[in-house]
Amino acid sequence: MSKTRSLLVASAASMVLAGSAMAQVSDDTIVVGLSADITTFEPAAISSRDNANIVRHIFDTLFSIEGDGSVVPDLATDLAISDDGLAYVYTLEAGRTCHDGEALTAEDVAYSFNRAKDPANAFTGNTPGFVFSSVGFVDAVALDDLTVQINIAAPNPIAFGLLAEVYVHCMDSYAAMTLEQAATTPIGSGSYRLVSWTPGSEVVLEKVADPGTFQNIVYRIIPEASTRSAELMAGNVDIITNVAPDQVDAINASGVAAVQSVQGTRRMYVGFNLSEPFAAMPGGDAIQNPDVRRALQYAIDVPTICAQLLNFPCERATGIVNPPNANQALTPYPYDPAMAEQLLDAAGWPRLDDGNRFTIRFQAGKGRYLNDENVVLAIAQYLSDVGLNIELDVMEWGSVYVPLIRQRNVGPLFFLGSGGALWSPLYDMTDLAKVDSGTNYTHWSDPRWFDRWADIAAANTPEEQRVIIDEMLQVFYDDGPWLHLYFQPDFYGVSGRLNWTARPDEKVYLFNATLN
Amino acid sequence: MWTFVVRRLLQSVIVILGVTLISFISLQMGGDPTFLFVSERASAEEIEMIRRALGFDRPLHIQYLTYLWNIVQGDFGNSLSYRQPAMNIVLGALPATIELTLFSMFFAISLAIPFGVFAAIYRGTALDGSIMTMAMFGQSIPSFWMGIMMILFFGLYLQWFPISGQVPFLMPLFQGDFATAFGNLPSSIYHLIMPAVAVGFYSLSRNARLVRSSMLEVLGQDFVRTARSKGISERAVVVNHALRNAWLPVVTMIGLEFGFLLGGVVVIETVFSWPGIGRLVFNAINQRDIPVVQASVIVLSVIFIALNLIVDLIYARIDPRVKL
Repeated sequence: MSKTRSLLVASAASMVLAGSAMAQVSDDTIVVGLSADITTFEPAAISSRDNANIVRHIFDTLFSIEGDGSVVPDLATDLAISDDGLAYVYTLEAGRTCHDGEALTAEDVAYSFNRAKDPANAFTGNTPGFVFSSVGFVDAVALDDLTVQINIAAPNPIAFGLLAEVYVHCMDSYAAMTLEQAATTPIGSGSYRLVSWTPGSEVVLEKVADPGTFQNIVYRIIPEASTRSAELMAGNVDIITNVAPDQVDAINASGVAAVQSVQGTRRMYVGFNLSEPFAAMPGGDAIQNPDVRRALQYAIDVPTICAQLLNFPCERATGIVNPPNANQALTPYPYDPAMAEQLLDAAGWPRLDDGNRFTIRFQAGKGRYLNDENVVLAIAQYLSDVGLNIELDVMEWGSVYVPLIRQRNVGPLFFLGSGGALWSPLYDMTDLAKVDSGTNYTHWSDPRWFDRWADIAAANTPEEQRVIIDEMLQVFYDDGPWLHLYFQPDFYGVSGRLNWTARPDEKVYLFNATLN
Repeated sequence: MWTFVVRRLLQSVIVILGVTLISFISLQMGGDPTFLFVSERASAEEIEMIRRALGFDRPLHIQYLTYLWNIVQGDFGNSLSYRQPAMNIVLGALPATIELTLFSMFFAISLAIPFGVFAAIYRGTALDGSIMTMAMFGQSIPSFWMGIMMILFFGLYLQWFPISGQVPFLMPLFQGDFATAFGNLPSSIYHLIMPAVAVGFYSLSRNARLVRSSMLEVLGQDFVRTARSKGISERAVVVNHALRNAWLPVVTMIGLEFGFLLGGVVVIETVFSWPGIGRLVFNAINQRDIPVVQASVIVLSVIFIALNLIVDLIYARIDPRVKL
């Protein structure tokens, strides 16, 4: 029995030692708790925000967009755009090196761009799928060691910002790797290099160059929101993303961490599907009338939705563009159900004997956006209050709702969010760049919007562009295809030992984080 | 016995084929998965290019038969998300789940048997009542709620145990890195305790009740009365005679539960950030990463079939009345 007792004591002691070894974070390390697994380090296959937030520390880009929308040089020091707007010529900073020791030159930049586009690689990440599609990327050519030319198919006012999202990687290493190797062995020129990756568990980065305060960055995958909060309050992580609104108060009361709430750049809206097939559906005919769409703007109490369901005070959106770049003359639609009823009556949709004006289907996906299911329920109730008989259809996000969205086959009402930016109003507006754009889920086709894009391209100065943009945004505000809601807030839990400020664009960059 | 084994192995091939077919059809019922892999700004041509590259343009029966032909040759395809061999991804996550499952089963069975025996021996007493009340709660409380409460109380408030995460033991062991594996062992167990209790508490409760009812049935039989009348100690009667017969149904239940837990601990893996196969499959289904889902289904099916075979063999070994 004494032997057994000794064994038990020894086991308990070793576990206590093991436990003490996993205590607080050291001063040269910063730990971030992420909500979703990452899947790859292949720079041309990155598509999720969490994945991008990690690899941005490993790979550099030509320019970098700051949290306030300002642009700073990164690998490139200068840019010249050809008169026809089809060639972007970057001058690179001399002396940059890759993690494999090779000098980073224009050849690496050109290789990075061309490799991402190569159909043989079948990459589906942000670079080939979003950036290249949006700018009409043709090819990239190294003019000399420090000069690279990026060619696009047509002039594009937001090409600069989009090209700044492409990760530059190192040709010598990648040319020698298979695609499978490239998915686990990132070779960039950034401040940090990958030390280890345990899928589903953690990623460890190590500093190799400035900028960067901490020697090590550890990303821990913690899918459950309450577990992330507990780890933050226990002092085991420094930053957590996607704090649930109902946990904000607990974290703030802990005394060891605080929640930073920021108004993000993701535009949340209810879309009106105005396509012909949907016009034939119940309610689809009603929303074809801009007066009906305008009436419904008054039916939703967006500030209350924000305060009660998102735990964040918000000002209602006035349109498709983030506030700093929006039409400053526009004021948010107020919550005025009496006005909504009056306008619906005037539009020819009075309440019938059953109390309803018309029936309409409202579709949404769940589990993608902040408290989305409850937000949708609230919106449905507000619309019901003004006489719409809502047939609510909330479905699984990934495999059911997304295919419908991508086929532009949701509605007549649908709930959706679209990522935005602060560096240009045109970035936000290009969701509706063309009538047949893949992102024009509403099938809106008002020529007062779409015909003006040519005017923007022809404008000689930013001031001229701004006039046109404001006119377009007025049209969108009056007769647009969105029921304006809010810009989704983001909640970050930040340890009291850390000095770090969250950005509104969901980018979690740690270069400038310091200890208090 | 060997005839039995060979027959079961042949049956298992049919079972695995059936499982792959059902999972394939189920995944296809959500529609074209191409849209989940392309940007929202992709043109129709780009979508078609990706559809062709991923093989989704072929008729479904061709996709399935091609898949079967490939797996016969050991090619389980590449993960659409990870862009690495799907089977490697699955086998990489499996050790974590095996660790959790083994430890939780150890916790459950090592307590369920004595609890059930004592409850049966002291039937009708306060001890019996307490154990059965615990068992009732254990079967009523959702494991995810229990996990979260344990995190808050033992992890955050008392700081007795790590809140989340895993320190691997089996993975380095399988890779032959014994120094790392055994160096990790204390910490690995330390990280296992809370999730294993959260998972195993339900099993503990159910098996305790099963052992109790089985013991009560056996303790009332003639051979037990005969053993007592021969002067054998009560302890020997219970352990050597009664329990040996009473735990037969438990053996069956253990085999079934182990297989179930391997694929069914996704909630606990999520709560405790455990990088196991349950979470992997759940994410793969959401992302329509078909090769990973298919590879996972095959692996879990093989394990489940093997476990059932082992359980049947053990059952036949310990109960001479059972003929294979």
